[in-house]
This record gives sequence, structure tokens and C-alpha cells, in this order.
Amino acid sequence: MPTSQPVLRYKQPEKRYDVIVIGAGLHGLAAAYNLARYHRVGRIAVLERRYIGFGGSGRNTEMIRANKRAHETLPFYKESLEMWDGLSAELEWNLMVQKKGLIALAHSDGELAVMRMLSDSQRRAGIKIDMLGPEEVKKMVPSLDVSDKPALPVAGAQFHPEGGTVHHDAALWGYAKAASRCGVDICAGVEVTGFYVEGGKVNGVRTNVGNIAAGKVHVAVGGYSSEIARMLGVKYPVVTIPMQVMTTEVMAPFLDYYVASPRLHWYTQQTLKGDLILGGQLDPWQSWNSSTTWQECSERVAFILEYFPDLAHARVVRSWSGLCDCTGDSAPVMGPSGIDGLSLDIAWGYYGFKSTPACGKYAAEYIATGKVPEKIRHFGLDRFYNRQRVREIII
Amino acid sequence: MPFLIDCPNCGRRSPYEFKFGGECKRAPDPGADVKAWCDYLYLYENMSGVQDEWWYHTMGCRSWLKIRRNTVTHEIIEE
Ligand SMILES: Cc1cc2nc3c(=O)[nH]c(=O)nc-3n(C[C@H](O)[C@H](O)[C@H](O)COP(=O)(O)OP(=O)(O)OC[C@H]3O[C@@H](n4cnc5c(N)ncnc54)[C@H](O)[C@@H]3O)c2cc1C
Ligand SMILES: [Zn+2]
Repeated sequence: MPTSQPVLRYKQPEKRYDVIVIGAGLHGLAAAYNLARYHRVGRIAVLERRYIGFGGSGRNTEMIRANKRAHETLPFYKESLEMWDGLSAELEWNLMVQKKGLIALAHSDGELAVMRMLSDSQRRAGIKIDMLGPEEVKKMVPSLDVSDKPALPVAGAQFHPEGGTVHHDAALWGYAKAASRCGVDICAGVEVTGFYVEGGKVNGVRTNVGNIAAGKVHVAVGGYSSEIARMLGVKYPVVTIPMQVMTTEVMAPFLDYYVASPRLHWYTQQTLKGDLILGGQLDPWQSWNSSTTWQECSERVAFILEYFPDLAHARVVRSWSGLCDCTGDSAPVMGPSGIDGLSLDIAWGYYGFKSTPACGKYAAEYIATGKVPEKIRHFGLDRFYNRQRVREIII
Repeated sequence: MPFLIDCPNCGRRSPYEFKFGGECKRAPDPGADVKAWCDYLYLYENMSGVQDEWWYHTMGCRSWLKIRRNTVTHEIIEE
């Protein structure tokens, strides 16, 4: 859609809004868009201290999938995966949704048994899943070494045909533009530094450009959630850990699927442009520093080369890292914060990109109605106090 | 190497020789209620700045150390 108009303009915030969303990542933008489009809540602003997509939303590896484990989360991931299909049309922006299929390799009989167990839970939730033998995998990924050469040979795989990728920058601009069209003010360079809370109810926020009043405030700050907690004098059940990933130079197309080894913590896909995205494991310690390290790069590359020996000539051209706020049960925190009017959408670790469409929908529903929607019922902070932690897998 | 850890037994070593043990927390009194214990178990200060934390020297002397580190800059603060 060629246009002579800028796709959106950053605004200076006004003194008062009905809803303030903190963080112009995908989750904040999606919540604001859904609120403006589907609910009557009045004036909405998204406050962002850096720029649109500064956090995980502009740094992730674009993988979308629903092959998780817990019955509490599977329906949510399934719906989110399905929502991507209609989103380009809805946002009037091509998100380059490509459900090319995800192959997760197993390296032993034990792992295959676990994958079969996972597959059963996923099928029961209505998610399409197949198990593959090494020969079938070889047919789909001819460049993969399924012989005995790697220290841990390929014993089989799980195939998730509806998994794939979405261009994350396209998703960011799609949501930002659509929110802006619906009247949302997107204000960059505005850092929330404190909250006004009276009688257990939020009244507004303090920022570097002055105080802004609002009866409802939604926290979607990605890996930075514990800084918000400190402003409120509370703690959240998260630890911030960086994740590093990298890309190679552009190559002729040779890899049709997203291929992963959950056991060895590597995954790779060839983008539409032709470069390979290589990832990714959380760093071995808590940190708020997003530099990249030789150790992570060399370990990831060594593992991937064992299975794709033909890539020995390929050069890594870029690496980067982003912060992930991780819970002990690998499930997010959404819904009430314990303070009236203040809602949370945090703790998405390294699985928040795929979840964006459903998060936007349900965060908006919760903010507008004050009732926790069924699909996010299990994501509350209360689960840590009533022995309802989610039994999710860590991949 | 993002930083080095000064082990009193082994000297300045790569952090990759260690297992990160998380921030130092203060346990509630034995008689504390369940909420206090849940807070202790599941919540974290998750400091963006200076914190005291545990490291285990897996590939060295196999002792637990307490280190003061700036989690933003990776600077180790020595007393
Ligand atoms: C390397 C990497 C790879 C990943 N790969 C995948 C993947 O393949 N699939 C997947 O599903 N997920 C993946 N993830 C996770 C995913 O990227 C995140 O879960 C998701 O982007 C979170 O989006 P968000 O909008 O909640 O937060 P973010 O995108 O992090 O946005 C938060 C925003 O809040 C702003 N902010 C913070 N504090 C303040 C403040 N005080 N005032 C104002 N603004 C503030 C920040 O500047 C930031 O722009 C990956 C993450 C990383 C780091
Ligand atoms: Zn030692």
C-alpha cells in the first residue's frame, strides 16, 4: 500500500488518559490496538522509554509454535498461532506469516518417549503433530546429517506443521500503525519512573516529561518487569536472563523448515532473505547486560555444524542479545497485579513473540472488563501461593 | 569473557567454570506463614544493579562463594 503519509507519528503525551500502556513492544502495542479497536475505554497512550521494538520484540528469532506441554497453556498458544493467519488482513500490513513447519530433533529413545508424551498432550488440545523417523527427516531436510557421525545422532523428530515464522519488524509496524490509526498516542522517549497509588488504586504515573494521570495502567515492559516492581515496592517471580542469537550471510535457499534440537539448545531457520538465524540458549547467569559472547557463539555454531556439516564455509555476520524475564515454571504472568487498575502482561521469557496476538486480545479484554478471561485464568500471580504453578516444559 | 570471579581457593577464574546460584535471599523465620515462605521461594528482587549472589565452583574447588556483582555492567565489587 504505497502512501505519501508517514506510517505513524510519535506524540508528546497529554496530561491525562483513560488507559496508559507501559512499553511499546509487541505486547503493549497489541493491547493498545485491541483496546482501541474492540472496547470503549476512552483515550489510550503507549509510553516507551526508548523506541518501538527496542526490547525482545525487535530482537527475537520469530519462531511461532504451539507445541508446548501444559494443559493450562496449550489452548492459549493454539489460539495465538491461529490468530496470526488473519492478522495481516486485519492490520492491513503484510506480516510475512510463513507456517513452514517446525522439526524438533530427538537424540535418544528417552527423548523420543518424552516427545511422544508431549505429542499426545498437544493432539488432545487439537494441535497437529507427527512423529518422524530419521529417514523421513532426511527427506525433508537433505542437508541434515542423520548418520552416526554426530556425537548424539538423530534418533527421530517431532513435526509441528503449523509452526513457522512471522517477520517481527513487520508485526511491530503492523500493530503500531493500526493502533495509531485507531487513535492511540504512541509516545517514545517517555520513561515511567514511578506510580501514583492511593487506597490500593492506581491514579497515574510519573515520567521524565511530567506526571500523567490515568485510572488504568497496563505493564508490558518485557524483561524489565522487576524495575516496575521496585517502583511499586513489590517483587515479581522472575529472573532476567539474556538470550543471544546470530545470523549468517545470505545463501541460496536450502532449508525449508525451522529445525531445532531441544536437547542441545540450538535451532535454525533460513529466512525469506536467505540468511540463517541461529540460536539460542539463555545465558548461564542472570544479567541485564545485552552484549554477546564468544563462548555462546562458538558453542552454538559447533553444535549446529555437527548436524549441518555443509555450513562450514558460512560466515556469521551479526549477533545480538535481548533480555528475557523468566519464571520458574516457564509460564507468563498476566492479569491482576494486586493494585486496582494496574494490570500485568510480563514474564514471557523467550516465548512471548508467538503469544502476541492472543496476549493483545486477552490483555485488552481484562483491562476493559476487569474480569480475568478464561484463557489466561492460569497465568495469575496467585498460582504461586495456591500450589497451581503451571507444569510447562522448559523449551 | 564478560568478567572474572576471584575464588579464595583457586584465584581469578572464568565464570564458565562456575554454576550461578542466584541472588542471596533471607529465609523467613521457621514459624513464618505459608505466604512468607512462598514469597521467599518464588519472588526475586532481580536487581538491575549491584546484588549479592551465590556461585558454585563446579570445575574448581567445589565450594559455594558469595559474590557482589553489578548485573548491568558485570563489574565485580570487592570489599
Ligand atoms: C534473542 C531472543 C529470541 C527470542 N525468540 C523468540 C521466538 O523465536 N519466539 C517467541 O515466541 N519469543 C521469542 N523471544 C521472546 C520475545 O521476544 C518476547 O517475549 C517478546 O518480544 C516480549 O514482548 P513485550 O512487548 O512484552 O516486551 P518488549 O518487546 O521487551 O518491550 C518492552 C518495552 O518496554 C520498554 N520499557 C521498559 N521499561 C520501561 C519504562 N520504565 N518506561 C517506559 N518504557 C519501558 C522497553 O524499552 C521495551 O521497548 C525471544 C527473545 C529474545 C531476547
Ligand atoms: Zn574455587
